[in-house]
Amino acid sequence: MQVTSERTSQRGVMNTTQQDTADKAAELLAKIAESRSRAAFSELFSHFAPKLQAYGTRQFGNEQTAMDLVQETMTNVWHKAHLFKPDRGSPSTWIFTIARNIRFDLLRKNKKRKDDISADELWPILAEQNDNLDDGYALDNDVLMQEIAHYYGQLPDAQREVVEKIYIEGKSQQEVSDSLGIPLGTVKSRTRLALKKLKELIVEHD
Amino acid sequence: MIKSHPSEAILYQYAAGDLSASMTLVVGTHIDMCPVCQQTVCDIESDLCQKHLDTVVETLTTPTAAFSGMSKATCDKMLEEIFSSEAKPSIQPEELICLEGRRFVLPRTLACNHSRIGEWTNLVGKLWRAPVNVGERGHTNLIYMEPGTQVPEHTHKGQEATLVIDGVFNDENDVYYDGDFILLDADRTHTPQTSENDCLTLATLDAPLYFTSGISRLLNPFSSLFFRV
Ligand SMILES: [Zn+2]
Repeated sequence: MQVTSERTSQRGVMNTTQQDTADKAAELLAKIAESRSRAAFSELFSHFAPKLQAYGTRQFGNEQTAMDLVQETMTNVWHKAHLFKPDRGSPSTWIFTIARNIRFDLLRKNKKRKDDISADELWPILAEQNDNLDDGYALDNDVLMQEIAHYYGQLPDAQREVVEKIYIEGKSQQEVSDSLGIPLGTVKSRTRLALKKLKELIVEHD
Repeated sequence: MIKSHPSEAILYQYAAGDLSASMTLVVGTHIDMCPVCQQTVCDIESDLCQKHLDTVVETLTTPTAAFSGMSKATCDKMLEEIFSSEAKPSIQPEELICLEGRRFVLPRTLACNHSRIGEWTNLVGKLWRAPVNVGERGHTNLIYMEPGTQVPEHTHKGQEATLVIDGVFNDENDVYYDGDFILLDADRTHTPQTSENDCLTLATLDAPLYFTSGISRLLNPFSSLFFRV
């Protein structure tokens, strides 16, 4: 895997200046998110606008479209700064992915098809995170253990298997994922569906 | 674990925004389900960013007016327009999909495109299809196979990408589980089928199917039904 090792070494050489710049940019994004600071945004803008302009010019070979890319990308940065998550990557990578999405839309714009899909639907980097999703697995107080034991036999096989391991054998979702060889997301969704179904069964029989 | 992933070349095109919309949807949905590819795509995005943005030599201390192509006036005007712009509403993912009393939770990317999923139609026997309208040429569908279903043997003119969303199916080559991504080149023949489990897949095809075996040839009109947009 030569490509991989090259990538690693490239990332390895991120120098102090780059790190400082990344920290500074992350700080500015945080200020924009917290206090809608126009000063912080202007500073970020003066750093990224020329880079985005150069990227746009290379991609489109057209100054006007390049300027559209700068404006639309930075407009998203202004409104969506709160969606930047420092633990998932550098500020410039986040901004690059926004620009990548804008580029995708600009390239398809002239085709003018009705209900054409937008890049934000395909790479939902700017969709609000639904933080409740991960909370759905704790058992609600109104679902009692013995009721689960009573009804879980009525679940579809795939869901029952997961519920058994989590709530009867006490495994974590990651352990279930590993032991059944299915993605963690699938374990989560089956758990969620199973709990929903169990609640319905319990209500039905009350 | 997921054993069948998109190639690194496909992940690279995905991250660069160079795949078709339908292929981006299928690959993106795989990535939602696959921590390994998530990490690879993060690394690729960071590389692409280095190549496209970071190498442009500018620092935070560069005065706005100093860079070529954008005068101070242009910058100020753009900033003004940005500050007075309205935020676009965010896309609301909708996760649940129902069919024949079965419910599935859609991975994030697909959930963001829930409104593009059309009506389910029963094709034949225990085989169901719902088109996903991505507004471009090509044929993207959710395909649902009940247990004990066989898709007639077929070949395709273009590439076919299939992603298992939930369940198990097999063909002549292998068995595929949740998250597995299968890319078949043109002219490869295969016969997807389920046995004791059902299976929901997302499939995209850039040219029609041709059924190759015996009686299925008579079903060729069915191929356009199967993969019609
Ligand atoms: Zn993968």
